[in-house]
Amino acid sequence: MQNLRRASQWLVFLVFVFLFLNTEYKDNDVLAYAVNIFLRLDPLVAGAAVLAGRAVITLVWPALVVVGLTLILGRFFCGWFCPLGSVLDFTSATVFRKLKRRTQVPESWRRAKYLLLAFLFASSLFTLQFVFLLDPISIIIRSFTAAVYPAMNYVINSTLGPLYATPVAPVTEPVYGFLQRHFLAFEQPHFRMAGLIGFIFFGILAAEYFQRRFWCRNLCPLGAMLGLLGRSGIVKRRVSEPDCISCGRCERDCRMGAVEKDFFTTGRADCIDCMDCRAVCPEDAISFTGGVAAKGAGLDLSRRGVLTSLAIGAAAVPLFGSEAYRKSADPSLIRPPGALAEDEFLARCTRCGECMRVCIANGLQPSLFEAGLPGLWSPVLAPRIGYCEYNCTLCGQVCPTGAIKRLPLEEKKKVKLGLAEVDRDHCLPWKGDSECIVCEEHCPTDKKAIRLRDETVVTMYGETRSFKRPYVDEGLCVGCGICETKCPLTDRSAIFVTSRGESRADAPMLM
Amino acid sequence: MLNRREFIRVAAVAGAGVVLNPGVPDGAWAAKPAPKGGPKVVMAKGGPVGRLTREAVDALGGMSAFVKKGETVIVKPNIGWDRRPEFAANTHPELVAEVVRMCLEAGAAKVKVFDRPCNDPRRCYTNSGIAPELEKIADKRLEVSYIDERRFRDVEIPGGVTIPRWSFYEDVLDADKFINLPIAKHHNAAVLTLGLKNVMGVIGKNRAVLHKKIHEYLPDLNRVVKSHLTIVDATRVLVANGPQGGSLADVKVLDTVVAGADVVSVDSVSCTLFGLGPADVRYVQLAQDAGLGVADLSRIDVKKISV
Repeated sequence: MQNLRRASQWLVFLVFVFLFLNTEYKDNDVLAYAVNIFLRLDPLVAGAAVLAGRAVITLVWPALVVVGLTLILGRFFCGWFCPLGSVLDFTSATVFRKLKRRTQVPESWRRAKYLLLAFLFASSLFTLQFVFLLDPISIIIRSFTAAVYPAMNYVINSTLGPLYATPVAPVTEPVYGFLQRHFLAFEQPHFRMAGLIGFIFFGILAAEYFQRRFWCRNLCPLGAMLGLLGRSGIVKRRVSEPDCISCGRCERDCRMGAVEKDFFTTGRADCIDCMDCRAVCPEDAISFTGGVAAKGAGLDLSRRGVLTSLAIGAAAVPLFGSEAYRKSADPSLIRPPGALAEDEFLARCTRCGECMRVCIANGLQPSLFEAGLPGLWSPVLAPRIGYCEYNCTLCGQVCPTGAIKRLPLEEKKKVKLGLAEVDRDHCLPWKGDSECIVCEEHCPTDKKAIRLRDETVVTMYGETRSFKRPYVDEGLCVGCGICETKCPLTDRSAIFVTSRGESRADAPMLM
Repeated sequence: MLNRREFIRVAAVAGAGVVLNPGVPDGAWAAKPAPKGGPKVVMAKGGPVGRLTREAVDALGGMSAFVKKGETVIVKPNIGWDRRPEFAANTHPELVAEVVRMCLEAGAAKVKVFDRPCNDPRRCYTNSGIAPELEKIADKRLEVSYIDERRFRDVEIPGGVTIPRWSFYEDVLDADKFINLPIAKHHNAAVLTLGLKNVMGVIGKNRAVLHKKIHEYLPDLNRVVKSHLTIVDATRVLVANGPQGGSLADVKVLDTVVAGADVVSVDSVSCTLFGLGPADVRYVQLAQDAGLGVADLSRIDVKKISV
């Protein structure tokens, strides 16, 4: 059974990587796989989005399957399925293989995950959603998207790439070509905050130094949720009393610290059905079966702690609600096409980074503070980095909670993300410096939103010359930002998009 | 050909900077006796596109007049935009495929097809129809690839007037032959984009800055990239809102290709399809001044065929 569990972990992780690599345009406007399935299976993501978003979200129905199975099997998800859990196990089994852990992590730290869950529950109940910070599936996909995968690309591109011009090229180029076709991104991805997001991820991995599954035991709110759900599940760890010789190996080897000192009692909310104890038991005294009698430990939770967490979660809502961003939105808060109204959007968005991963021009970036602290890492279009491809609908296809609606192409083309505006003090033809037209030629709308007018200018040298100057037709502009991306000026763009006039606004075209 | 009203529209969108010039009206210069020794340009009208292309090249002596056995040939269509073929933003896929086939038949050792697009390259290659059409040609000698940023090489432009150096794609610099397959269309900076302008797809760096003085820069770029054969796709053209288009209202079906060994002559003759002449499209005239070919319509030997 232990081998079966290992096989499951490997298989699921490989599927996870496969879907991650396929969260990319593959010569087809529609993605071939449900690449967001891991998030849609996640009951914490689903619960928070439904609770905070005050909506029935049919996309997340697979989470009910996990809830159902958890009710029967307990916290199997963490031991058999969770890709982050598998990465942690792998880290312990490789990096920390020879480590003798000396530091004792206090048992009371286990409570933290319940308190975090309570906090998330209360804030979500009052429509503010912080699940993104702590949900393991969001964490792993976001970290892979914004940090791990770009870093891997960077390493390979900067090592194999330059060898192209050297005598070893006949060996390295086929390898590089193979990697480009099957593993690397089409273009090196670049994300804001890649370093920070990456270090948080590696911090979670590094915590294996203190304890196996440190994250899962102490902090993971999804683990807490599944533990609570599966505590009284049918399939339980059972120890046959006559057979047990009290060797204590099960207690010593438990990666979750779920076996009590008497070796019979199991911390049911912590046991992840990994079945290591069953494998190490010299007397085959341990089984995982259905039935009634099995010693389960109670939850070590103080009512005061839970109430405090709930209170903090509730208090977060008015605290963040009175921040200044709520009064005056940042003009660079440009959301992906099909994004819901801002409050609803943030209530549903789990910052998983799927939309950023799939964005064909690398334009969707984790927000800094454009949407306030509660909007951290939510997707914003940063047009100087990349634009929204006019004929592309991929971000709406991957959003697991419907924060970005899945729109048919013809509808998506009508969505205004904002409006472009020419910086006339900076634009070459406006300044009377030279011709340009680059923004106009890239403008993708069927009827051009950027139009040129021939105008006579007296240059700084007193010459009278004629230049084609760009104007933006605000009725036609969709705010895709390709003009801002492609503006040839090497510093800031002379044409830029703001969220003004976005379709999500109350009266878009009156502003 | 466009009628007068249409070319006025072209000229109008092209801007007041363009001197309105009907060029040499269709028929008038064609009826003149062909000047001896001038560059030969074939203007073929009809269809389907593949046959039209082949007969145009045959009229120039066939592909073997341009491509010798064992040579490496670059076939450079315009794959600049995420637009389907009918929008006239990219070279017609069947034209590209036919040229590739002819190169292979002529015994080319390698035929490479690529462009440096403005939209996402994958979307452009797919939606232009060019990559799917070329996939049908099962021949190991054909290589359809995306631009590899590592392969741009900085070179000095011999005799460069406006730019002394620029970076160019290595494959083009190293190839035996360069076959230039532009689509003829309106362009707000260049008036029209034709063969000389198509070369911008094989240069590196921030090429958008070249729009500052595009007419002056283009001849210099063409000093490095010499086209051995140019076939202008005018099967359907954009008469306004080029080079990207996006509206079928801006597309005019002309069922024409213009082919020849002298890219300047081919461009010059192609201007007439829009009711313009080389004087209206300054870079064509400047290319002649730079000694890159003949723009002067009276010195070009145009052969018209219908297919």
